[in-house]
Amino acid sequence: MKPVTFLLREQWSGILLAVVLGIVALSIANPTFNTEFNWFVLLRSICVVALAAFSQMIMLGVGQMNLSVGALGGLVAILVGGLMDAWGVPAIPAASIAVLVGGGAGLLNGWLTVRTGINGFVVTLATASAFTGINLGLTRAVPFYHLPADFVAFGNGRIGAFPLLMIVPIIVTALLAIFLNRTVKGRHLLAVGGNSNAAELSGISVSRTIMLAHCLSGLIAAIAGVLAVAQLGSAQPTIGSDWLIISFAAPIIGGASLSGGSVSITGTVVAVVLIGLIQNAMVLLAVDPYWVTFLLGSLILAAVWINRIRTVRMERAQ
Amino acid sequence: MTTQVQSSSGASISITGLLTRGSTQFGLLIILSVLWTVFASLSPGFLSTFNLNSLGRSVAVDVVVGFAQMVVLATGGMNLSVGAIGVCSVMLAGYFLQVLGLPIPLAIAGTLAFGGVLGWLNGIAITKTGVNSFVVTLATASLFSGGMLILSHGVPLNGLPSEIGAFGKATVGPVPALAVVALAIGGLLYILFAHSVLGRQILSVGANSRAAEMSGIPVSRVIVFVHVLSGVLAAAAALMLTARLGAAMPAVAGDDWLLPSFLAPVIGGTSLAGGAASVIGTILGALLVSTIRSGLLILQFASFWLQFFLGVFLLAAILLQRYRSVLSAREQTRQA
Amino acid sequence: METGFVTGGMKRVGRGVLAACLAGPLALAPLAAVASDHRIALVPGGPHPYFAGWEPGLTDAAKDFGIAKVAYQVPAEWKLETQTQLLESLAAQGTNAFGIFPGDAVGINSTLGELKAGGLPSIAIAGCAKDPTAAAFCFSTDVFQAAYVGTKALIAAMGGKGAIVHVAGLLVDPNTTLREQAVTKAVDETKGAVTLLQTVGDTDNQERGDQKINALLAAQKDKIGGIIATAYISSVVTATALRNLGDKRIKMVGIDDDKIVLNGIRDGFVAGTIAQNPYGQAYIGAYALDLLASGCTVKPDAPWITTPLTAHFVDSGTVVISANNVGTYAEDLKALTKKMQATFKDTYLTCK
Repeated sequence: MKPVTFLLREQWSGILLAVVLGIVALSIANPTFNTEFNWFVLLRSICVVALAAFSQMIMLGVGQMNLSVGALGGLVAILVGGLMDAWGVPAIPAASIAVLVGGGAGLLNGWLTVRTGINGFVVTLATASAFTGINLGLTRAVPFYHLPADFVAFGNGRIGAFPLLMIVPIIVTALLAIFLNRTVKGRHLLAVGGNSNAAELSGISVSRTIMLAHCLSGLIAAIAGVLAVAQLGSAQPTIGSDWLIISFAAPIIGGASLSGGSVSITGTVVAVVLIGLIQNAMVLLAVDPYWVTFLLGSLILAAVWINRIRTVRMERAQ
Repeated sequence: MTTQVQSSSGASISITGLLTRGSTQFGLLIILSVLWTVFASLSPGFLSTFNLNSLGRSVAVDVVVGFAQMVVLATGGMNLSVGAIGVCSVMLAGYFLQVLGLPIPLAIAGTLAFGGVLGWLNGIAITKTGVNSFVVTLATASLFSGGMLILSHGVPLNGLPSEIGAFGKATVGPVPALAVVALAIGGLLYILFAHSVLGRQILSVGANSRAAEMSGIPVSRVIVFVHVLSGVLAAAAALMLTARLGAAMPAVAGDDWLLPSFLAPVIGGTSLAGGAASVIGTILGALLVSTIRSGLLILQFASFWLQFFLGVFLLAAILLQRYRSVLSAREQTRQA
Repeated sequence: METGFVTGGMKRVGRGVLAACLAGPLALAPLAAVASDHRIALVPGGPHPYFAGWEPGLTDAAKDFGIAKVAYQVPAEWKLETQTQLLESLAAQGTNAFGIFPGDAVGINSTLGELKAGGLPSIAIAGCAKDPTAAAFCFSTDVFQAAYVGTKALIAAMGGKGAIVHVAGLLVDPNTTLREQAVTKAVDETKGAVTLLQTVGDTDNQERGDQKINALLAAQKDKIGGIIATAYISSVVTATALRNLGDKRIKMVGIDDDKIVLNGIRDGFVAGTIAQNPYGQAYIGAYALDLLASGCTVKPDAPWITTPLTAHFVDSGTVVISANNVGTYAEDLKALTKKMQATFKDTYLTCK
C-alpha cells in the first residue's frame, strides 16, 4: 500500500491535514510562529494535555468513562507538591509516591465500578468530587511553593525547541502503543470495550480488565499531574480543573469510538496538537479575546467535519 | 429483620420485600426519605421554611437542566451545549426584557423559540454531517457561548421588570413557584415518553437505531426533534434561573450545567447508551444531589471539606440503591 | 443554649436559629470577654489564595472588638449557586451579618435582598455588588483605580515609552471591563508614547494562563516593553513566565502579593505589584458588620465614593510594592488599617 493511500485511510488523516495547513497558514500570518521559543511553548503546552487525553482514551477503549481524570491529577499534583514542600522529600521519590497514589486512586475507581456494578460514570463523578474535596481540604486553596530547583528546572528546561518535559509523554506514548497493540492484556482491553459479552465468553475476565484500565488511567492522570506541577513551578490546587472536556475531546476527535473498543493513539496525539495549535494561534494572531471561544468552536467543528467528509468519500470509493 | 405475613395466595410478603421491590426510582425515593429523616433529626433547621424554599428553587432549575440532557440521552446521544444554550437564552431574555422592552410573555416565547433554534442547529449538524453528537455539541457549545460573549461583551443586565424577580421568589402555598414549573414540565415530558407515539419512537431510536430505521421510524427527524426539545428545555431552565436571580448575567450556566445535566438523569435511571429515560428518576436524582449538599451545609461540615463529603455521601447513596436492587433480585429469585 | 438573637424580622429564620443553637458551629471563637453576641460570617466567592488573607484580619477583629462568633466559610466551588446556598444555610443557622465577596456582582443581589428582608445586614468585601443592591456598602479596592495606578507605575518603570500588553482575568467578570478601561485610559494619557499591543483575557487560571502568557511572550517578546497583569493568578503566572524567560528587560506590574510575585520583585523580574488589603478588609469589615447587626445604619451623607458598580464605596486601601518596601509593606497595610478603623464608625455609620 502506498504511503499516501495508507495515510488517507487512517481516521485521523483529515485532522493531520488540518494541522499541517494550520502550521503553514500561521507561519505566513505571523513569522514569530516559527521561532524556537514559540515551538517550545507549543510543544510544552501539549505535554500535560496529551497525558490527560491518554488517561481518558484508555477508559474509552474499554468502553467506560473516567470523569475523575482532572480531579485525580489535581490531587496527585498537590500531593507531590506537599511532599516536596512540607516534608522535604526529593523530587524523584516524591513523584514516584504521588504517581503510585494516583494508580491506587484509579484502582479504587475500578474496584468500586466492578464490585458494585454501579455505572462507571456515576462512580467516577462521585470520586471526582471526593478527590477535589481532599485537594481543597488539604490546601485550603493555597498552593505549595517551595519545590526543589531541579524539579522546576526539568519543567522549564529545553534543548533548542524541544522541552525536557516532553520526554515523559513520548515514553508514555511508546509504552501505551506497545501495550495496546502487542500485549495480550492490551488486546483484551480493547476486546472488552468492543463487545464485553463476547469477551467474557471467550474467557477474558471483564472485571479484571476494567480494573486494570482504571488503574492505568489513574497512573497516567497522575503523571500528568506531576508534569503540570513541574511546568507551573508550584503545586496549584486548581490543576486538573479544566481537563475533563479536553480529555474526551482529543481521543474522540482523533477517532475513538464512544461505545468502546476502538481508539487511536496517533489520532489522539494529532488532535491534541490541533487543539494546542488553535489555542496558540489565538494568542499569536492577537485575536480579540471576546472572539476566542467562538473561533475555537468553529475551528474544531470545521476540522471534524472535513475529517468526516473524507471518511464518507473513502467509504463511497470502496 | 422481616415480618412475614401469609397472604391468601400463600406467598409471603415481608418488609424487606416491600423495601426491595420496585425500580431504581423507588429505591431513590427510599434513600431520599432516609436522608431527609437523618438530616432533619440531626438539625431541625433542615426542615425550616427558609431552607426548604432555598432547596426547592435550586432543585427546580437543576431538574429542568437534567430534563434537557435526558431527552437527548434517550436517543443515545449527548448534548454538551446545554449550558451554552442556557447562557445564550439568559442574555437574550435580558435583552428582550430590558433593551427592547418587550412584554414578558413575548420575551418568554421568544427565548424558548431561540433555544429551540439553537437546538435545531445542533440536530441538523449531527444528522447532516454524521459526526457524533459529543463532538458536534462540544464545538457548538464553544460557538454559542463565544457568540454570546461577542454580542454581550460580558455586560450583565440587571434592569429587568420586577415581576421576573418576584416570580422567582414566589411560592404556591409551601412550594416555590419555580418548583411548580419544573414539575409541570416534568408532567408534560412524562406524557411524551409514556403515552405518545413520538416518545416511543425516541426510545426506539436510542435502543437500536438500525432496527428503528428499518421499522420505518424517521431516525434523523427524531434526532433533530430531541435536540430542538433539549434546546427549548435549556432555555426554560435559563428563564427560571433568570427569575431566581432577578437579573441576566453572562457568568451563569455554561460549564456549570454540564455535570449536573448528566448526573440527575443518570442517577435516576436514564441510560447513557440510550433507550431508557425516566422523568421521575431525573427529578429524584436532582433532589438527591441537592439534598446531600444542603444537608452537609446545614450540618456545618467544614467548608473546605464539603466537596469531599458530597462525593462520599453520593457514593454511599448510590451504593445503597444498588444494594437494594441486588437484594430485590435475590428476593425475586428466592420466591420463584 | 439560647442566646439573645432578638433582631427584628427574624421570625422567618426563628426556627432555624433555635435549631442552629443545637448544632455545633465551626468558627473561630475568641476567648476574650464577649462584648456583643453576634455571629459574623465572611464568605468569599470560592476557593482562592487571596482570601486566605482574610482569616487573620477576622480573628483579630473578633479579639479586639469582642465579637461573639466569627466564621470564615468558603463555598466549595466558584459557582454563584454554591455561594447563595451557603449564605442561605448560614442565615438559617443564625448568622447575624455577612461580609461577602459577590460570586457575581449582579447575581448576588437577589440573595442579599432576601437576607435584608430577614433583618440580616450584609456588606460587599473585596468586590462590589452592582447597584441597586441591598448591601449596606462596598468595602474594597477601587478596581479601576488600582489598574490605572498599576499601569502608570509600569509606564514609569518603562521610562515613559514602549509597547505594553494587558493580561486580564475572566471576560465575564464586570471588573475585567473596568480594568481594561483603566489600562486604556493610562495609555491614552501618554499621547502615543506608549501603545497597548494586545489584551489577553481569561488568564486567571493557572494552566490556561500559563499556556496563553507563554504563547504571548513567544509571539511578541521582542516588541513588548511591559506587561500589566490585573488579576491575582494572572500576575503569578506572568511573574513565573518572565522568570523562566530570564529576560529582565520586560517590565511587569501585577496585583496582589503572592509569594511568587514578591520573589519576582526581589530578584528583579517584576517591577512592582499593587497590594490589596485583605487583612484590613476582614478586620474593618467584621467591625462594621458587628455594628450594623447592633442596629447602626449607614450615613447617607458620608464621603462615599461612586464607582461604576456602586454609589456606596469605601476604599480599603492599596499599597504599591516595589523593591524598596517588599519586606515592610505588610506593616504599612496594618498601620493603614488601624488608622481607617479608628475613624470608620464616626465617618460612615450612625449608631444610637
